[in-house]
Amino acid sequence: MHEISLVRSLLKQVERLCKQNDGTAVEQIEVEIGPLSGVEPLLVREAFEILSFGTGCAGSRFVIHEVPLKARCSDCQAEFELPSFVFVCSGCQSRAIQITSGNEFRLLNVTIQANQAANIPKPRGGGYETEHIA
Amino acid sequence: MTTTRKLTVNQDIQAQNKRRAAELRSAFSDRGTFVVNLVSSPGAGKTSLLEATAKYWGNRRRIAVLVGDLATDRDADRLRPYVPVEQLTTGGACHLELSLVERGLQRLPDEDYEFLFIENIGNLVCPASHDLAEHLRVVVLSTTEGDDKPGKYPKMFRTSQAMVISKCDLLPHVPFSVDAAITDASLIQRDLSTFPVCSTTGEGIAAWCGFLDDARQRMRNVAGRHQEHVGN
Ligand SMILES: [Zn+2]
Repeated sequence: MHEISLVRSLLKQVERLCKQNDGTAVEQIEVEIGPLSGVEPLLVREAFEILSFGTGCAGSRFVIHEVPLKARCSDCQAEFELPSFVFVCSGCQSRAIQITSGNEFRLLNVTIQANQAANIPKPRGGGYETEHIA
Repeated sequence: MTTTRKLTVNQDIQAQNKRRAAELRSAFSDRGTFVVNLVSSPGAGKTSLLEATAKYWGNRRRIAVLVGDLATDRDADRLRPYVPVEQLTTGGACHLELSLVERGLQRLPDEDYEFLFIENIGNLVCPASHDLAEHLRVVVLSTTEGDDKPGKYPKMFRTSQAMVISKCDLLPHVPFSVDAAITDASLIQRDLSTFPVCSTTGEGIAAWCGFLDDARQRMRNVAGRHQEHVGN
């Protein structure tokens, strides 16, 4: 159940982002999870519900996008989806394939409520961008 | 008046950890310490493999071990007669994290080890997602487990570079085929180096240690090139 420790660091990151952007509440958190990430989406959701209780993330929408396991063949250049964890090219049966999607457990974006006054986007050098949607 | 804002992050949840692991790995490389992360299910024989490795090398290699354990220090006690050992107690957590490894390192007597072994918690799922700054991840599979285990734990076998098949002295008595295990594993990770061993008799340990020496030499060559680069 290492989902607990991963979700804990996710929550910390979201709270930090919210604070840096003068947010008053977290509305939505979107993540993506691949089949080869080593985390189970159901357990991630459960961990989120338990751990977010009492934090600034409590009550926010937690959206999980499950991404497919995909690969590119180094021999025939085919790109394909892997139906199971057998890492073989569906075209030429080569085993020289590179995973192009499926490893990820990523935080995509966070939607926050912020005070109007603090509304001017400030470059913080944090490696992310902000986008106004309302 | 409040407003709604969407902050685009698009970053791996472990990005910070992965960066820290990469920094630490390169510091190990510069120092000539080759780090091996040993993973397996409980009871596969990681401690016995380390005992056999330490006995085989004797004083010819400087090695140290960080032992991850849920609560006890029994595994650490078994290794203490041979090598410097530090215990990393997770208090029930199912995997080791980099912060625990860093703390354990500070308690080890020296830092000029040729090999640092990290014996992870017995678990084929959770440790697969945690980079402990190792150069090599080795999955230990015992002959008392199924030879179809690689396919059941794809992430672990996909992220490992070597597989030790332990307890090979039991092969005549158990329904385990080394060839079948290798075939199953190669569908997940085709570049997996495989070492059948018996830690009690020492069978296969020379080949395993030879592989580790070669792997460390490759690391030294790469680290040397990086240093030249920095020097220029
Ligand atoms: Zn192909």
